[in-house]
Amino acid sequence: MSGLSRRRLLRTSLLGGIAVYVVPLGSRAYAALVDDRLLTAPAVDNGSLKYRVDGRAKVTGGKVFARDIRARDMPHWPQQQAHALALRVTMADRVYAGFDLSMLGADLRPDRVVTAADLARDGFAFPDFYGTDMLLPEGKTPAYLGQAVALLIFHDFARFRFAKDKLQFNDAVIRYGAVTGPLQRDPWGAGRFVRVGGKTPADGDVFSSTRQAPLYISTYDKHRPAWPKPSRDGDLGEQAMFYAQAIDEELTRPPADWLVVTRDYATQSADTAALEPDNANGWYDAARQELHLVVPTQSPQEVAEGAAGMLANSRLGLKRLFLHPCFTVGYGSKDHSPLPYYGLIAAAYGDGRPVRLAYDRFEHFQAGLKRHQFSMRYRIGVDRKTGLMQAFQADIVSNGGGRANCSDALTMVAATSAASIYYFPKTDVAATAMSSRALDCGSARGYGALETLAATEIMADEVAGELGLDPIELRLRNVLKTGMKNAQGAVPVGQQRAETVLQKAAAHVLWTGRVARKQAYNAANPGRYYGVGFGCIQRRFGDGAQCSLAKVELSADGLITLAHTGTEIGTGTSSGQAVACARWLGRPADVLEMAATDWPELPVETSGNPHAMAQEEQDRLAKNPRWVPAFASASSASNSAYYFTHATQAAARVVFLHGLLPAAVAIWGREVKPEAARWRDGALTAEGFEPLPLARLASDAHARGLVTGATVHVFNRWQWAEAEFEIDGARVRLPVDALSLRRGAAKDWRVLDRRAVFLPPTRNNNAMVGYNTCVGTLVEIAVEASSGKVLVLNHHTILECGNMLVPELVSGQMQGCLASGIGLALHEEMPLYEDGPGNGTWNFNRYYLPRGGDVAVWQQTAEVLPPLSDSEPPKGMAEVVMIPIMAGIVNGIAHAIGHRFRSLPVTPERILKVLG
Amino acid sequence: MSLPMRKVTLTVNGKRHDPLDVPEGMMMIDVLHEMLGLTGSRLGCGIGICHACVVIWDKDDKTSEEVQTCITGVEFFDGKRIRTIEGIAETNDRGEVTLSPVQQAFLDKFSFQCGYCTPGFVNAATVLLERLKRSPVAKAEVEATVAAALEAHICRCTGYVRYYQAVRDVILATPGLTRDSA
Repeated sequence: MSGLSRRRLLRTSLLGGIAVYVVPLGSRAYAALVDDRLLTAPAVDNGSLKYRVDGRAKVTGGKVFARDIRARDMPHWPQQQAHALALRVTMADRVYAGFDLSMLGADLRPDRVVTAADLARDGFAFPDFYGTDMLLPEGKTPAYLGQAVALLIFHDFARFRFAKDKLQFNDAVIRYGAVTGPLQRDPWGAGRFVRVGGKTPADGDVFSSTRQAPLYISTYDKHRPAWPKPSRDGDLGEQAMFYAQAIDEELTRPPADWLVVTRDYATQSADTAALEPDNANGWYDAARQELHLVVPTQSPQEVAEGAAGMLANSRLGLKRLFLHPCFTVGYGSKDHSPLPYYGLIAAAYGDGRPVRLAYDRFEHFQAGLKRHQFSMRYRIGVDRKTGLMQAFQADIVSNGGGRANCSDALTMVAATSAASIYYFPKTDVAATAMSSRALDCGSARGYGALETLAATEIMADEVAGELGLDPIELRLRNVLKTGMKNAQGAVPVGQQRAETVLQKAAAHVLWTGRVARKQAYNAANPGRYYGVGFGCIQRRFGDGAQCSLAKVELSADGLITLAHTGTEIGTGTSSGQAVACARWLGRPADVLEMAATDWPELPVETSGNPHAMAQEEQDRLAKNPRWVPAFASASSASNSAYYFTHATQAAARVVFLHGLLPAAVAIWGREVKPEAARWRDGALTAEGFEPLPLARLASDAHARGLVTGATVHVFNRWQWAEAEFEIDGARVRLPVDALSLRRGAAKDWRVLDRRAVFLPPTRNNNAMVGYNTCVGTLVEIAVEASSGKVLVLNHHTILECGNMLVPELVSGQMQGCLASGIGLALHEEMPLYEDGPGNGTWNFNRYYLPRGGDVAVWQQTAEVLPPLSDSEPPKGMAEVVMIPIMAGIVNGIAHAIGHRFRSLPVTPERILKVLG
Repeated sequence: MSLPMRKVTLTVNGKRHDPLDVPEGMMMIDVLHEMLGLTGSRLGCGIGICHACVVIWDKDDKTSEEVQTCITGVEFFDGKRIRTIEGIAETNDRGEVTLSPVQQAFLDKFSFQCGYCTPGFVNAATVLLERLKRSPVAKAEVEATVAAALEAHICRCTGYVRYYQAVRDVILATPGLTRDSA
């Protein structure tokens, strides 16, 4: 087929002079392209979702993942599929001197070899975010283990497959020259967050990141941060160091009634082990000057922009880019991943054939983004009599590996999360993201906070032990309550519920009965030691610059269509957003389009960095009514439940208030206040008026020319942007920063220029944390003396997350996160350097992932605190549940055998070493 | 290209492929993916650990067994009958799909998130149900039986609980799969 006729269905955006068409698999646009559908209409029973909208496709083995797609599945592509693999270095302390493919012989020789010289000649380079040397040129020392040096392209699968068998694990392929030692480079970033509070938690701070500023530095001495010299009267950095020095002196020479505890903790480098290995499939159509790319990504907008920029700078002369993001799973490893760009390169050198670059698990281990290894030195001063914590000092170092990626931002989040549920009058948290020859690290689930929070919770038990206090009692005495300031000096938004979680844990039978249960278990199970541990954390969701677009449309017969910039990454985002429509429209959306990136209905403009922008710059830019601080967020940072839902419901609310409700009022013949209206069984009623089915209201709204569609852009920097618009002759203030409307049956949309905008101040960036979700987990373990194994017998989790969109999805997320936390506490580990995954020999045979038998699959229980009100928003909870069980297990081991481990994972070998 | 080839006969989801020219030494998962277009058997590890790639081998003695296709050469399946995830649900002449009880239970229970491991769990549970049909298990042993049958399968999203519960509930609700006493 020509493709062109159908492509007229698609909408475009222009990036870097290249028209970009983003057509997610599973979208309406893709269905129009290939006549296939992956999303079913939401099945609803009594207002609840019966099953995931992507469920049938997934449970029947449908082509859901990018990995499933071959050229033959793309009807407008040539059908002959070519395949590519990457050659990678396995040493990073010597010069790379080329490669030798002689072992392939004539039969298996690749049809095309792409090296750094090709990229240089043709003007291909990574987007700036990923750094230099997309393929390492000969004569340079690799920046990191596993760095790619060449792509080999084979025009058929069989030769690709057998050639790979000969190349993999073969040390003769890559040639090396002189030993230079690893590259020594400055850290990817460093920052410091100092706070000295007032006399009480309610008093103003003497100094804090929010009141003054965080301290970010860019100067280093021998690759270590060169912090400013302390000065009370100096600039803000020098002032921060003055107060940091004072805290240090107080902890070094504490008052007589203080206990000061100093501990070193370490967490491991890990792989997120998303089961779909990284992959891409692309076709460069030279005749039409088009490039088509099927990719798994958590951030399609980033890939669209990056790929378009990369192509625009090349000598390919491309006019159009077609991007097909698919459902995927990454746990952060497919957010800002370099893989799509390697897929693009492979396609560009396909000689007219579609090229698939699909890693196997060994390659995924060797090239996929990793979890940062963390080292933490914590010092806590606590009043012996009251048990109240007085000061917290932390020196946090993450190992970000060979490319910067998000290491700087992630490590700052780690730092600003470390104080967790506790109120400290004084804090000094320094954090450095180191560069190294380890693999590059990405936004692995938890985004740095997992590591620092787990350490904090292990330390809380240690402090309690030193004081002779019940560990939960110590937590209760120090818990951050509503209105108290966090370690940055910001007051977290909303009711803080950690105290309730702690109280519930303290009353749970696993905690109250732990002494008796220990005695009984140990007596009944000779050779095993029983223990109960607890951890409780709160963690932010979102990243301080959350934004998305959502479009809600009603057809004349009441069909609800939702389009959203959010991407489905397996967590149920699509199902959750469908359900989110019900609050204003009475039932979930019928038709979904996720990962939408083309928005002709609402053409917004953006510029600048929303995280680092000066207030003056924001004020100036905001005068343009089409300007917004950022376009659309990736699916990450547990952002769908709260942030994506806000966009969906803001659009649905406009349709309700300016379309459905006026239609109902016209039928009822009497004015009704919005708050009096209720949806019952898909019909709108109020004050005893006739229930009106959605289809009737939609039909009426269409006939009367009322609002039948709303597209919104929303932005949140720890508070929502708001703007005023003129609708139906009245000025209304909405929690959005851009809006367009469709009326009646009109096909055209009208963009409403905002009359005033109220963007969150840039000062909010200093807070780093605004919204929290809290979770606590009690875990019951036994240590097997003969093997050193830790058996997870049971666990109970207490979560607060507002109103749940789909309770079954929340429950599934919790259970999955608990399994992941168990893996990181007890099993998952790999060396950072030469013996690690960069050598290409790592797989699940030596990287153990928890199985059903490891997670107390039949015993585990959980409870979710009732929401504070019907209107409390849903809160992000996808990552947070991983963390407390990690600390709980370590604390439980201490209860069982009396030894406190401070380095994860706690493997049988380490336990046996302790047990002798 | 002069790669050695051989002819095999495969019956996949009731469809006979005879003969199929395959390169010698090719793994079954590659044949399914690249030659037959059946990509539902997922490649997770490629070394037989994660079990996302398992298919059901239907033996002549009416028993069935899971086989990891990522470590099993296509030659092993020569002359054999297998079911992949694409063949578990029934499709009638009008193209209407009826999910198997296991698939329906996984859907109803929200057992999976990303769904990458789901085909392996469906096939493992299907084999288990077929075994219990031949050899019922005591009700008190159902949970242990489910755990043993699914233990090898790796799930990274939902922590196993909803998979295990779904299979348990299907077994307990299906007449003939359990007995009251040991």
